[in-house]
Amino acid sequence: MAASQSILGRAGIVLALVVFVFAATGPIVWLLLSSVLQQQALTSIPPDLSPSSFTLANYLEVFSSAAQLGRAIINSLIVATFTTALAIILGAPAAYALARLEIKHAGTILLMVLAAQMFPAIVIAIPLFITASKLGLIDTKLLLILVYLSFNLPIVIWVLRGFFMGLPLGLERAARVDGASPLQTFLRIVLPISLPSLFAAAIFAFIEAWNEFFFALIMTRQTAQTVPLAISAFAGQYQTMFGQMMAAAAISVAPIILLTILLRNTILRGFADGMLKG
Amino acid sequence: MPSIELIDINKLYGAVHVCKGINLTIADREFVTLLGSSGCGKTTTLNMIAGLDDPTSGDILMDGRRVNDLEPVGRDVAMVFQNYALYPHMTVAGNMGFNLRLRNFSPAEIHERVGAAASALDLSHVLDRYPNQLSGGQQQRVAIGRAIVRHPKVFLFDEPFSNLDAALRNRMRAEVKELHLRLGVTSIFVTHDQEEALSISDRVAIMRDGSVEQFGTPEDVYANPETVEVARFIGTPQVEILECVIDRSNESNTILRCGSASLPITARQAVALGARTEKILVTIRPEYVTIGGQGTSAIIRDVQPIGPSTLVNLGWKGGAIMARLNGIVRLTVGKTAHFSIDPIQLMFFDKESGRRIKTKS
Amino acid sequence: MAEATRALPLGTGHRTRHARVAPLFLAPALIVLALLLAYPVLYSIWLSLTDASLSAGQLDTPFSGLDNYRQLIGDKSVSAALLNTLYFTVVEVIGVVVLGLLTALLLNHPMASWSGFRVFLLLPWAIAPVANAVLWKWIYHSNYGILNSLLLQLGLIDQNVTWLGDPFRALNMVLLVDIWKSTPFIAILFLAALQNIPKTLYRAARVDGASTFEAFRFITLPSLNTAIAIAVILQTIWSLRVFDLIFVLTKGGPADGTVVMNFLAYRVTFNFLKFGYGAALANVIFLASLLLSIIYVRLMNPGAPRGR
Repeated sequence: MAASQSILGRAGIVLALVVFVFAATGPIVWLLLSSVLQQQALTSIPPDLSPSSFTLANYLEVFSSAAQLGRAIINSLIVATFTTALAIILGAPAAYALARLEIKHAGTILLMVLAAQMFPAIVIAIPLFITASKLGLIDTKLLLILVYLSFNLPIVIWVLRGFFMGLPLGLERAARVDGASPLQTFLRIVLPISLPSLFAAAIFAFIEAWNEFFFALIMTRQTAQTVPLAISAFAGQYQTMFGQMMAAAAISVAPIILLTILLRNTILRGFADGMLKG
Repeated sequence: MPSIELIDINKLYGAVHVCKGINLTIADREFVTLLGSSGCGKTTTLNMIAGLDDPTSGDILMDGRRVNDLEPVGRDVAMVFQNYALYPHMTVAGNMGFNLRLRNFSPAEIHERVGAAASALDLSHVLDRYPNQLSGGQQQRVAIGRAIVRHPKVFLFDEPFSNLDAALRNRMRAEVKELHLRLGVTSIFVTHDQEEALSISDRVAIMRDGSVEQFGTPEDVYANPETVEVARFIGTPQVEILECVIDRSNESNTILRCGSASLPITARQAVALGARTEKILVTIRPEYVTIGGQGTSAIIRDVQPIGPSTLVNLGWKGGAIMARLNGIVRLTVGKTAHFSIDPIQLMFFDKESGRRIKTKS
Repeated sequence: MAEATRALPLGTGHRTRHARVAPLFLAPALIVLALLLAYPVLYSIWLSLTDASLSAGQLDTPFSGLDNYRQLIGDKSVSAALLNTLYFTVVEVIGVVVLGLLTALLLNHPMASWSGFRVFLLLPWAIAPVANAVLWKWIYHSNYGILNSLLLQLGLIDQNVTWLGDPFRALNMVLLVDIWKSTPFIAILFLAALQNIPKTLYRAARVDGASTFEAFRFITLPSLNTAIAIAVILQTIWSLRVFDLIFVLTKGGPADGTVVMNFLAYRVTFNFLKFGYGAALANVIFLASLLLSIIYVRLMNPGAPRGR
């Protein structure tokens, strides 16, 4: 068994790994490649990959032609940051309460929190749109910051609850015997040792907010346009400027990719907290 | 004025009756151990005394006042946990001073108290370290220090030494005992190790299945066990229990029939045992069994030299008997030996209830 | 009661019961969620019972009872969308679960222990669905897209295919994109489950003489039962949410071939401005998701009692 494992088996695994890497990264690599290739290179068949075809003109075009993209990036940054911060501030104590403090109907509340993550945005979008119109909040960053809480808050609660449930009980007991109230225990003992998980939850919330399209589509016009909207508009407008379309997409995608690579361990641990603890 | 009283404490988790009608009176400055194997309810009882858990029914009094509704800090108790439970993000000094900071003590006072406790526990040189930089023994001492610093009315220990190796455990026992002598604070200690309980306590409460089997001094529970379970649980090595019937066929010499053999008993014991015809349980502490010379013959089943003594397990027609001999005695397994006992040291128990049949006045 | 019980005067020795504090921890989040979720859901139910329309900034909501739902049942575009949704969901779930499992098995192999592989897995998950859609629109481009180029070079086709030109083919191409994007998360789920299987089980199986395939069938698969069930439910729920992709790639075309329920609800509400009907459609989707969520929770907590 060990012998047949070695050659045929190992070759198979290597082949499978190659296919995997190609499948997983191929499209993204092509995205980045296309963004730095000239139009002629992209429209020749097959695409011309000789060194002379490479250029940064696409990026320059994107930034200069669409002032939207620069402003969209700022909008996305502001919205994502603030909604994440709010989600953490509201969600961490809630997650702690659900994990550790005795709550009646905790099971039902958890179900609601979970269900909230699950249903399609259209369900709440229509009423929220109507209400926001009446309040004059359409096309404001504030609206997006608040509306995004509808999915960010459940994510934060879910991930943090899983983490809090995994903490050893002894610490909180010792704090209680030392005379700390539940609030003091939470602020001075639990939170300081939860930083990695808080971080992971924040990253998830940030990424979801940055990538969000549907709410932004219905609830913004020009002023509060976010990056995904700008990309979509750009793609609609410059349907034939392939390089520039890819450059625009790349700009949206690059910060997230960077975040993911740099914080991969935190993210993977966050997955574990949210996923396996039920 | 008794320091702590437990009156009819019952605790149910759902349908599981963990603590069944516990009554204990612990005197001021006493060192009491709750002893028993896992599941007997000792940790649950400790948690209720601490205020971490509420009894389903019953009262807990401290210094005469009912404290059922008070949080641990309101009862002025400090606790040392089995897994140390040190705050990983605080230094040793931070851990020890946490309670004082919560109570708004002045930094000067905190510094003084922490310093005093640290030097008492030989921790002065690690005050700035974090728990994960300390050895197990040091961490446990920090946990004790955290409790001392508060000058509480009661110390509670929840199996604090189970995670330490044997040598360290013995040293910590001595330290705790010495601390108790010096500070004189009422202490309640939970353990499953009967040797530990006997060595450090003023009184021991042996718990089984949610109730207290016996509550007495170490000498008491050793020499005068009130139930056969206590007799079995206390003492190393564990005694062997024989099943015997009283034989009064010879009026002038009542004896015990055990299996196909017999044991002599004194006249007074015969009277105390009364008119019983059913089987009773009989045992004797190993140190009262002597080997050699005349006496009943038995087969040597097992020999364990443990340094200062040798434990011999004998197989006899009446059952099994443990003997403890001084020093290292070379005996061969399988050979025959002769043993004799001093009947006065026999202990008798009712087979049904397990209760001791008193034969001494 | 013993005589010595003197109840303590109130105020001494703070008894802060957790029960009193817990609601304060939870309340802010719950209030926000109630406003953002519960209230809209209720509003949506009411809306669906009206013939709401938005004109000149005014919302008229004449009551119409169950008319919208009756219309829904007979509407051909709804049944078409339902069919598309069903096809899309079933194929996607099967595709993602199978591919995810294979990927997880691959990455669980000792030869694949380099952490970089896991990062590659995270990349499709991380990029914005819109950016992803734009990318694949380019990949699928009939004249200059790389897919056609590659297939032409490899000799698998002899002329350019208009991938998004035929309704059914377009639906499948959209499926392909979403499967590519969704597999990583499920793969990570399976990977975690695989790593929870004690290695000693496999050693024991080897000692017992089991082949690799037998070990897979009798140890790995049974241990993954729950994970597979969870993956199926989760992916089903997510398949119902696909929107960005369809909006950018096909806008529902060609010939409504890529219109799924979610997209239909959007179009009805925000393109045709029939808010009541749109709400009814949305509620149907909501119901389906809710049921699936309940099943999910039951799966995660097999014996959990309702409430505590």
